[in-house]
Amino acid sequence: MQRDGAAFWRLLSAQAIGIAVVALIALGAFAALLLAAGKNPLQAYVDTVVYVFGNATGFAELLVRMTPLVFTAVAAALPARIGLINVGGEGQLYMGAWLATAGELALQNHSAFVLLPALTVLGFVGGGLWALLPAILRALRLVNETISTLLLNYLAPLIVSYFIFGPWRSPESSSYPESPAFVDAARLPTLFHSRVHAGLIYALVCLGLYWLALGRTRFGLQMRAIGGNVEAARRLGIPVMSYTLVVMFIAGGVAGLAGMAEVSAIQGRLVAELSPGYGYAGFLVAWLAGTGAGGILVMSFLFAVLGSVGDMLQITQNLPYAVINILMAGILFIVLARRPIGRAVS
Amino acid sequence: MNSALLIGVVASSVMSGTSLLYATIGEIVGERAGIVNLGLEGIMLIGAATGFAATALTGDAYLGVAAAALAGTAVNLIFAYLVIGRHANQLATGLTLMFFGLGLSALIGRPFLGTLIAGLPKLRLLGLGIMGNPLLSFDVLVYLAVPAAVLVWWLLFRTTWGLGLRAVGENPVAAVAAGLSPSRLQYQALGLAGLLGGIAGAHLSLAVTMTWAEGMTAGRGFIAIALVIFAKWNPLWAIAGALLFGGAESLQLQLQAAGADVSPFIMNMVPYLLTLAVLIAWGWRSQGAAPAALGRNFVGVE
Amino acid sequence: MARKLFFLGLILGALTAFFAAAPLSAQQKPPLVVGAIFVGSVNDYGYNRSMKDGLDEMAHAIPGLKLLEAENVPETAESERIMEGMIQQGAKLIFATSFGHQQFAFNLAKTHPDVYFEHAGGWMMSHNFGNFFGATQSAWYPMGVAAGKMTKSNTLGFVVGVPIGYAIGNVNAFEMGARSVNPKAVTRVVVTGGWSDKAKEAAATNALIDQGADVVTMHVDSPATIIQTAESRGVYSIGFQSITAAQLAPKGWITGLGFTWGPFMTGIAKSVIAGTFKPAFVREGLGQMMAIAPFGAAVPPDVRTLVMASADQVEKGFNPFTGPVTDNTGAVRIPAGQSWGGDKMGNFDWYVDGVIGKAK
Repeated sequence: MQRDGAAFWRLLSAQAIGIAVVALIALGAFAALLLAAGKNPLQAYVDTVVYVFGNATGFAELLVRMTPLVFTAVAAALPARIGLINVGGEGQLYMGAWLATAGELALQNHSAFVLLPALTVLGFVGGGLWALLPAILRALRLVNETISTLLLNYLAPLIVSYFIFGPWRSPESSSYPESPAFVDAARLPTLFHSRVHAGLIYALVCLGLYWLALGRTRFGLQMRAIGGNVEAARRLGIPVMSYTLVVMFIAGGVAGLAGMAEVSAIQGRLVAELSPGYGYAGFLVAWLAGTGAGGILVMSFLFAVLGSVGDMLQITQNLPYAVINILMAGILFIVLARRPIGRAVS
Repeated sequence: MNSALLIGVVASSVMSGTSLLYATIGEIVGERAGIVNLGLEGIMLIGAATGFAATALTGDAYLGVAAAALAGTAVNLIFAYLVIGRHANQLATGLTLMFFGLGLSALIGRPFLGTLIAGLPKLRLLGLGIMGNPLLSFDVLVYLAVPAAVLVWWLLFRTTWGLGLRAVGENPVAAVAAGLSPSRLQYQALGLAGLLGGIAGAHLSLAVTMTWAEGMTAGRGFIAIALVIFAKWNPLWAIAGALLFGGAESLQLQLQAAGADVSPFIMNMVPYLLTLAVLIAWGWRSQGAAPAALGRNFVGVE
Repeated sequence: MARKLFFLGLILGALTAFFAAAPLSAQQKPPLVVGAIFVGSVNDYGYNRSMKDGLDEMAHAIPGLKLLEAENVPETAESERIMEGMIQQGAKLIFATSFGHQQFAFNLAKTHPDVYFEHAGGWMMSHNFGNFFGATQSAWYPMGVAAGKMTKSNTLGFVVGVPIGYAIGNVNAFEMGARSVNPKAVTRVVVTGGWSDKAKEAAATNALIDQGADVVTMHVDSPATIIQTAESRGVYSIGFQSITAAQLAPKGWITGLGFTWGPFMTGIAKSVIAGTFKPAFVREGLGQMMAIAPFGAAVPPDVRTLVMASADQVEKGFNPFTGPVTDNTGAVRIPAGQSWGGDKMGNFDWYVDGVIGKAK
């Protein structure tokens, strides 16, 4: 046990240094690119570091940004362990938000003790069901889950839009399509008088459960068996199809929680543009992290930092926010290029 | 349904479906060689931005198309290097490419936001529009779209090169045994795919909207990926698919103009639902439509 | 081991360099730092352009004023982040220029009582939060007059981005204006579903023209694509949001409506500097926050006179939404003797008689 611990830390620190080096190379190259374009990235980097680490608000923003990423990363990582590819985090997030909103509208007059747990469950179920469909299709060998989850990502926001333009249109602001504001009892509480909200706790709990389940339960053991060799697992009597369905449902549910947190804590209502690509970013986080729980924590934090750099670049250097995608992609490209051949990833 | 509506829908579907067709046949080429490129959206965006920028700088839209094609090829070759040369995971690399395309296109397009360009001129076949109707006259990329699809079909199914490429996509080990070089063929396939993807993006910015806006492809790259499956990896079927999707997109707008009561959101769902339905139907009937080695990285023979 | 130390040293060195670079930028303290967020790009010949023009006018009028801007800020929690960042950079006045930024700006107003906020198009107010917009609906009436006179097919086309009450009100005023000079004029409406989807806008414009419209106008963020498409099909266009769009359609431009935010913004900035900021719900129309764009070459003098006369009436207080007003199913929505004022402009969920389309 102790030997495992030491090796674990060595592995983690080696990974961390590796990532840090890569990040620095990419940051440097990116800075060079920006300088060539006549901008001052160094100033932006400095501003970001100061804002993010030397400032309670800035750090809080980091955590707020990180929260949905942890959710969607787990949503991608969990199925990856049994060889399934879930790029549907985006859609599952929306459907979780949708079902949670439905619940809020129906249960408005109850107290927070009823509302919050109900919305949490509904958010989970909404996302879970949305992932279940591709799971069924995959289990029946009809459609590859990569494509089906991808397609469903497009349907979900349309469904949400339909409802907020139609049946759930807020009468108080009929001038703008959105659902009515959530009652206070339906809002997730914030922590420490900042924008950091209880969703972060949910996310960390999910991450913890993920780590626990995979490493310490029979469920996790069987999952890893399937991930290693499906045929062998089947021969051992593991019900692969059941695992496919259950695991995808849970994964979708976790992403759905991200959606529920967005509408309950951040937005306070159902709106059309809930996610600026959290689902896809989460997939990349999971992939970069090698689907390990600790890695997911670190990587989502790093992605959140990148996001803050993007904000700074935009405000102070007049660059479009999308440009930060170049930086992120650059880092990822370098990592992708360095992975040794044959290493088992996802 | 009056004739104005019908012609309007046809014209609109064609305009809408052209970029989808180019993107789809490009992706078919790549996937037939065994490589799935989720970053097609990024390639299209880079094509759109580069094409627009080049046109704004030179005033020549055809030059813009050429620039877009080149840019698409170049960026797709980066993807190719990572996936073929470094054996990186195709899905992760593809998604990264999508983000890269989002960012790079924003950077390229930014100085040209709001610039006015003349766009690709609408040409009339033989002095008339199609069927003598002046509404049905399009730019050169539209006219070349179907021939391009046929050309790709011919390349894939009637040439030795295509045969080798498909062999690589089905069984790379056997291909090596037959004396082929999988990586060379895959590079070529992805180069062609990048070219077509860049053109697809250029059509959007130079012909359909004649403008540039961040993220303007709005998911068309992913629709194209779904269309590949819809078309069963056959460029000829892709023609029908692209028209269908282009049609669904524009039908609801046409119906609105005619005064019909349709919810734009429900209508917008139709293409995706259609794809899903078709995929399920395909899956039901034939299991082996996809290239067998699609998505797997070929690491080499012992 | 040596390699690891080397890398560590490299990292430390880089970090030091970053921090050293910080003092390189020492700046003079400006009289005011203003932050502004736009939902789209300022080069859109439309809404964002008009906001930017207003801000530039304000910056020009107050020497030394520092302007922080962020474009393409979505109407989500992201905007709160961006505005927060601007406040951290010293902004004491924030312009949240798009409707959907309201809640987030309001949240920040609560946590930053010493920073002032002006939001465009909403209704929230507090001691440091004010609201402003143009009174667009009546201003569309003269546009309708222009369209009604210029059309030959008696079919007008209106592209709407998001069918909110204010937009529907614009369509209604437009049709009413057209009807007042041309009883046969009808307006067809196509909704694209978003404030800025260029491909859909082009297709929507084509759809309207296919159905016979020979004058096209719009309520979307940027009129550019629609005007260009109309120009390429040889039909007239009327612009909205910014009066600079005329250059897009040399042949087909009739006129347009634009916003002139400059004087208002300058006034607000000055009040912040002087410490006399008073939150207010400001709605100004033609002559103040709104202006009519120059006429295109194709517009004959008699039409120009008619349009300007109509605009004059609106400026003097003419309200087209005075009963009786029937909707396009025949029901009377505003009874005789009543009229809908500015506070009701967001409540439209019906189209007037003559508009072909469904509002709900």
